[in-house]
Amino acid sequence: MKKKLVSAIACMTVAASTLVGCTGSSAPADTAAPAETQTETPAAETKTEETKTEETASGDKVTLSIYTQYADDDTKVPYDYAVEQLKEAYPNVELNLIVQAQDDGQTLKTLAATGQLPDIYQASTDLINTFRESNQIMVLNDVAQSTGFLDKLYDANKDLAYAEDGNIYAFPFSGQEYVLWYYNKALFEENGLEVPKTYDDLLNCIEVFKGKGITPLALFGQEGWNTAAAYDVIATRYATGGIKALDEGTASVTDEGYVEAAKMMEKLVAAGLYQEDATTTNYDQASQKFLSGEAAMFINGQWYIEDATKELGDNVDWMFYPAADEASYEAGKAAFSGGGSASGFAVNPDSENAALAAEVAEFITEKYCEAKVMYRHNPLVALDTGKEPDSEYPAMMKKLSDTLPTITSTTKFTWGLTNSTFNDAIQSESQGLVSGQFTADEFVENVADAQ
Amino acid sequence: MKKYMGNKLAIFLFVVPALAVFLIFDFIPIIQVFAYSFTDWNGLTIPNFTGLKNYLELFGDRVFYTSNRNQLIFAVIITVYQMFFATVFAITISDKKMKGRKFLRVAYFIPVILSVTVVCQLWGAILSGEGLLNKLFEAFGSDFRQNWLGDRYKAIYVIAFVNAWQWMGYQFALIVAGIKSIPSDYYEAARIDGCSNVKAHMKITIPLLAETYKFCLIISLTGGIKAFTEMNILTGGGPNKSTFTLTYMMYNAAFKKSNYGYGLAAASIMVIECMLIMLVINFIFREKDQKKEEERSRRKRSA
Repeated sequence: MKKKLVSAIACMTVAASTLVGCTGSSAPADTAAPAETQTETPAAETKTEETKTEETASGDKVTLSIYTQYADDDTKVPYDYAVEQLKEAYPNVELNLIVQAQDDGQTLKTLAATGQLPDIYQASTDLINTFRESNQIMVLNDVAQSTGFLDKLYDANKDLAYAEDGNIYAFPFSGQEYVLWYYNKALFEENGLEVPKTYDDLLNCIEVFKGKGITPLALFGQEGWNTAAAYDVIATRYATGGIKALDEGTASVTDEGYVEAAKMMEKLVAAGLYQEDATTTNYDQASQKFLSGEAAMFINGQWYIEDATKELGDNVDWMFYPAADEASYEAGKAAFSGGGSASGFAVNPDSENAALAAEVAEFITEKYCEAKVMYRHNPLVALDTGKEPDSEYPAMMKKLSDTLPTITSTTKFTWGLTNSTFNDAIQSESQGLVSGQFTADEFVENVADAQ
Repeated sequence: MKKYMGNKLAIFLFVVPALAVFLIFDFIPIIQVFAYSFTDWNGLTIPNFTGLKNYLELFGDRVFYTSNRNQLIFAVIITVYQMFFATVFAITISDKKMKGRKFLRVAYFIPVILSVTVVCQLWGAILSGEGLLNKLFEAFGSDFRQNWLGDRYKAIYVIAFVNAWQWMGYQFALIVAGIKSIPSDYYEAARIDGCSNVKAHMKITIPLLAETYKFCLIISLTGGIKAFTEMNILTGGGPNKSTFTLTYMMYNAAFKKSNYGYGLAAASIMVIECMLIMLVINFIFREKDQKKEEERSRRKRSA
């Protein structure tokens, strides 16, 4: 009997210790998700180590977690500036940065599913739509009104603040943005080439550059948005709505313009416009190719102006997208690829400090805009900050600013698209076109299926 | 020991922790995967039952067939490569006369301890357009140049090779351990009978490692079907989803399209495929066991 008792106790001890071992993992699990996102920069790592302070009474320190990009100068400079400004305006508030992972929202959706959303998070249109359904995103209409956010919003960006249902779910800091077709002026001059206006001119440039061992256009096709933009800059020459109209369903990819655009892209790919391994090239590799003079052209957003100017100085410029003929080229100067989106800082309604978080989110948005104007020389922000840049705007930005009043239509970047099935299809199918291994007919057929 | 085995409470208490862990972390989630695959769940909201809609869509999706083809290619390549080279290397270093066997034993295993990300970055640099491999051909004056990771049809073979290269060492370690457990008397007896080294390994080593091979086969084939990381890092599933697998389909549907129901339908098919493979492997090896049993009983009877 005694032995039985001893053996039973021994067994129970083993069982209990095993189960305790299992449950013991719950505490570190709370920090697992943020830790997973700390891969971007050492600076970010140190920031995430900050300890969370409990809110007790008014005047005590409150730490708000914030999930946002912190990867390069374009994202680090505004964040650091906002944190500095926050210390003065809200001395009792500290931010605990969780660096946004480039994972298609996987981390944020997982945090949402487990009820661990950060207090403030950077949300794209897709996330806003998803979290709206699950009530995990705060309606910010009142805060936008009380803080004066709506008054500071440029008229051209008013639409960006509102979601499809007419509510404000995020404070956008980026204004209307544009896909620019950059080119290396020096390389064009050295090779006796003029900026291409038509696709025939472009084909000639491709031939000359390829003959000299220069990549005509470096694309970072590993990122689907870049290949989608590469298609969009051609599509907008035939149908001004571009991929935006396809996303909204007001046009079909089987329409003549879109089919012609796909065929033209197929032709340009066959001629060798992009590097052979474009679909496995990342941003750093493609940018390096362009900045080092190995590639003559590059497609990216206007946010690249600062970096391109820093490296290439006066040797870099952007061109209006080439078109089928000169008349279309001139007419198309008013139609740009790119555009604004409802993306911005959103707030977790279940946050212990939701009201404060909403105020802080608005404050940070404002400071982001200021930093982008002052230190990134980018006036294309959502809000009128009244700030001036710390030095003169780069020539390319001046050119863009002069062009802005003439722009009559824009499309969207992929992160602004609302139909996620179409978004997925346009990114992968345009990548297929860029690879040169999928035909324009396959492209049209598969995108049509997703529409 | 008999006393403990007769104590039902002891058996129960020893089994409960493992059973609970299995039920909570494996069995129930798998059941949930199947259940949610019949819904339009987006990962956050309350799911609505949609019947077979996700499965019908899945079977009509060209990427589903591409994914299955890729899985098959991937599984076959890693299985053949890993089992063949692991066996050859394990037999080679099990020869005590061989010089440098300790170094080789470590060298073959090193890729296993590296992170998959590191290995993929390494091979990504070698296989990229301007990478080491193409540069090597160039250095030797050859025009031969390949878009190793960007080719619609060939990329999957290259990705499978990267996986096989990394994990060969794992199977190598298993086979080395298996060889060590074979008594040396068998080889001595074979040598006395005039058996060559190669024949001794063919007749003794390989048959006696049947259980080890069974395990290796299961991990290789199911590993092939579950493949995701390498294609995610090396090609991003591209170009145009041509290096997708069912796991990648699941990831893409869940996180890019917020369509968990559809993604879980792909996952369900993947689970079924893995289970079928397990059943087939068990069936093949069980047949052999049964044959051996029959042979033994026949011998006993004739003796």
